Amino acid sequence: MTPEELKNANVVKTVDARGTACPGPLLEAKKAIGTIKAGDIMEVLSADEGTKVDIPKWCTKQGHEYLGTLEESGYFKIYLRKK
Amino acid sequence: MCLGLFTGSVDKLTAAGIILGGAAANDMKVDIYVLLQGARAFRKDIGDNPDKLQMSENPAMKEEFLQSLKNLKVKTWVEFFKEAREIADVKIHICGLAGKIWGAEKLEDFIDIADDICGISAYITSAQEADVNLFI
Repeated sequence: MTPEELKNANVVKTVDARGTACPGPLLEAKKAIGTIKAGDIMEVLSADEGTKVDIPKWCTKQGHEYLGTLEESGYFKIYLRKK
Repeated sequence: MCLGLFTGSVDKLTAAGIILGGAAANDMKVDIYVLLQGARAFRKDIGDNPDKLQMSENPAMKEEFLQSLKNLKVKTWVEFFKEAREIADVKIHICGLAGKIWGAEKLEDFIDIADDICGISAYITSAQEADVNLFI
């Protein structure tokens, strides 16, 4: 998705993991993905640089669709669609 | 994944916890075999008490390391193990002989995340069957 599309994406779940260090954001994402339906979009907020690489890799492994990352001031918004 | 956890060093236990978190997030089945120094760290009266754990490779840096973990809001090693157990199929097996060496013979002598006490054959057969093997 383009940054513009990501900004307007229909996010049904926001996981704010900015207060946690690696692997906190990934574990928070893992817990939250069980609460949404297939096809739903989730965003993960993380201040941990490693999460930008971890979440896309995790999506590939788990079969979820990684949609892209937006960089905000001091943190990232990472978007994915549940399989 | 099969993890031989020999260490009783607080930094290595933390590393093991973080790796375990990654494995759990990826739905990996994990068997942990707690050996020698690890069995001491798993004793109920030690566990998360960093005063009773050493930092083996760089003892002088222990306080700085622990303070840094606190500042970064990194969980303790026991918290990592607990969280991984909640998320994925993670089993913790304590080596019976190791427990005896540190005066802990029963499952109740260890922190409440230990599943059973086992012998070396359980570890070796598990290691043979696992696709990922780590020894920390």
